[in-house]
Amino acid sequence: MKRFSGRFRSSLIIGLQGIRARKLRTLLSMVSLFLGVLAVVVVQAGASIAERALLADNELTWGYDGTRVIDMPPEQKAVDAVLAAVKGRSDAVASIGVQGIIGEPGVRPVNEGGAPIGQSWGGAVCYPDGRCEEPTGPQGAAIEVRLTALTGDIRQFRPFRPVSGSWLDFSTVPSMAPRLVLNKEAAKGFDQYDVPAEMRVNGAVANLTPRFVGVVDDGTGEPRAYVRADELATWLPNANLVNPNMGGELRVSLAPSSPIEQVLVAKLKGMGVEPYVDTINNREEQEDQLRLMRLIFFSMAGLVLLIGVAGILNVGLATVGERVEEFALRRAVGTPRSLLAGIVLAETLLTGLFTAAAAIGASALALKAVVLLAGGSHPILDNVQFPWEAGVAGIIAGIVAGVLGGFVPALRAAGIPIATVMRA
Amino acid sequence: MIELTGVTKVLKGQSEPRTILDGVDLSVAAGQSVAIVGRSGSGKSTLLSVVGLFDRPDQGRYLLAGQDISRLPERRAAKLRSSHFGFVFQRFFLLKHLTAAQNVAMALVNGQGWLPRRERRARVMQALDQVGIAHLAKNRPAKMSGGEQQRVAIARALVRDPKVLLADEPTGALDTETGTLVIDALLAATSRGCALVLVTHDRDHAARMGRIHDLVNGVLTERVPA
Repeated sequence: MKRFSGRFRSSLIIGLQGIRARKLRTLLSMVSLFLGVLAVVVVQAGASIAERALLADNELTWGYDGTRVIDMPPEQKAVDAVLAAVKGRSDAVASIGVQGIIGEPGVRPVNEGGAPIGQSWGGAVCYPDGRCEEPTGPQGAAIEVRLTALTGDIRQFRPFRPVSGSWLDFSTVPSMAPRLVLNKEAAKGFDQYDVPAEMRVNGAVANLTPRFVGVVDDGTGEPRAYVRADELATWLPNANLVNPNMGGELRVSLAPSSPIEQVLVAKLKGMGVEPYVDTINNREEQEDQLRLMRLIFFSMAGLVLLIGVAGILNVGLATVGERVEEFALRRAVGTPRSLLAGIVLAETLLTGLFTAAAAIGASALALKAVVLLAGGSHPILDNVQFPWEAGVAGIIAGIVAGVLGGFVPALRAAGIPIATVMRA
Repeated sequence: MIELTGVTKVLKGQSEPRTILDGVDLSVAAGQSVAIVGRSGSGKSTLLSVVGLFDRPDQGRYLLAGQDISRLPERRAAKLRSSHFGFVFQRFFLLKHLTAAQNVAMALVNGQGWLPRRERRARVMQALDQVGIAHLAKNRPAKMSGGEQQRVAIARALVRDPKVLLADEPTGALDTETGTLVIDALLAATSRGCALVLVTHDRDHAARMGRIHDLVNGVLTERVPA
């Protein structure tokens, strides 16, 4: 162990002396290797950022990985059971979807059926007794939205991106004028059309006067609005909250360890409601795409790195050729062959590591500059940090390139005969 | 200290095998100095290669302090070169990017054991002091004269306190006066118990050694003092 330590230290000391003595050559080695390591770092950083962006989009639409979701048919007894189960809990949020039309009364919305703004899916108006009527009257200043009533802050499960204003405040007393947070598509509609603040909800006891408090990006393309369930309940009795004839959705999002899941599922099954329980796993869904993306990126980076290795190998061989006498002399004073090989490897390894550090630093700075310059116009770049995986990949690439590039020169150095100094 | 008996070395090249050393007998005790003289190509350097464990004899026996080292594996030979031998060559082989002290320290940083920096420095300074150039410790070779550079090379050979000092025409590239200083430095080592084998063309330097051996066509004969 002591002998190994002595040789290791000797290799490092002599290797560093060699680097200092041949700064220009080291720099030349670094130039070609820099591009290779930079390619690996950039590719890894790009892959990480792209992977996160891909996952972030899915998280926006489906929720964070690991979130448990229970979907069930929107039946009255299920609503009652769900509302009772999640009441006062922070680890479970129920979301109940109903249709709402905001705007001028007695007119057909500009996006019938809750279609994206500018489109129309048609649509019937249904009543709690199951009776539905085809819409009549002229199309006017009204926008149909999917209204999602929430029993708590859903953002712990779905990372809505704030666009403007604020999110729903669940800590205050419910307001008589329900506060709405629109998604981007709904906000687009209200930007384009001048509509009065009156909201019709099927089954409500009266038309409501909503207040828009904010806009979020929820990853969906249809107009949606989010409202506190207790504020909506003032106007829409639980009995009318859902009705299979009116469409609708009923979902509970839970933290993975929430104790109410088993209770709620058992209760629903006991009522004859069949719940569908699932765990959000975006990564698994995207795994094939991510694997292919990584494969392509790393093949490209590997190729560039190979060119860098060839560069360091070339310079390494030339350097050993120039240092024949030095290595022969070192052998003459008792340096074993293995240490000579170690000296050359230490030099290329240190060169690889210095290059990796430079490439990582340059990439991190470049990313910071790109985020500063283009972050505002490209949401994908918002709050992007230099991924640690890219740093690790860069260091590994530097070490691999150093070892591969130094291997042949090291063997050659170890094989130099001592008699070289006698014949000189 | 060293004892060679019937050492033969044959050079096997592309043409006919050529006998470089032919049954060489040589014995040098601690503190003794021996000069090997001979014409170019007579095998002087090959003899030094065998003595210095750079090369193995094809035949014969080589004893170092009574131990047979004729057929040592390279790893053990390297260890012995480090612990028992010091080498001085005609060309100084100083690394130009290192200072005199660092060049001397090179023989200590060779993977054969590890000395703490303070001890390393003390031994380097002692070796430089022995050859009278401690004041040049921080100078690089480019700023030193030929004689000074050769004395740095001698300090490098002495720094591990060798038992045998091998010098291959160490004054070949120096003027007479400087050469004399270099021989003085080498002989000073013998007074500390080191055996010295000097290969030289210079009669005057050879005459300062305890014994002179002639090497002619691979055959070594001791010159009888007049």
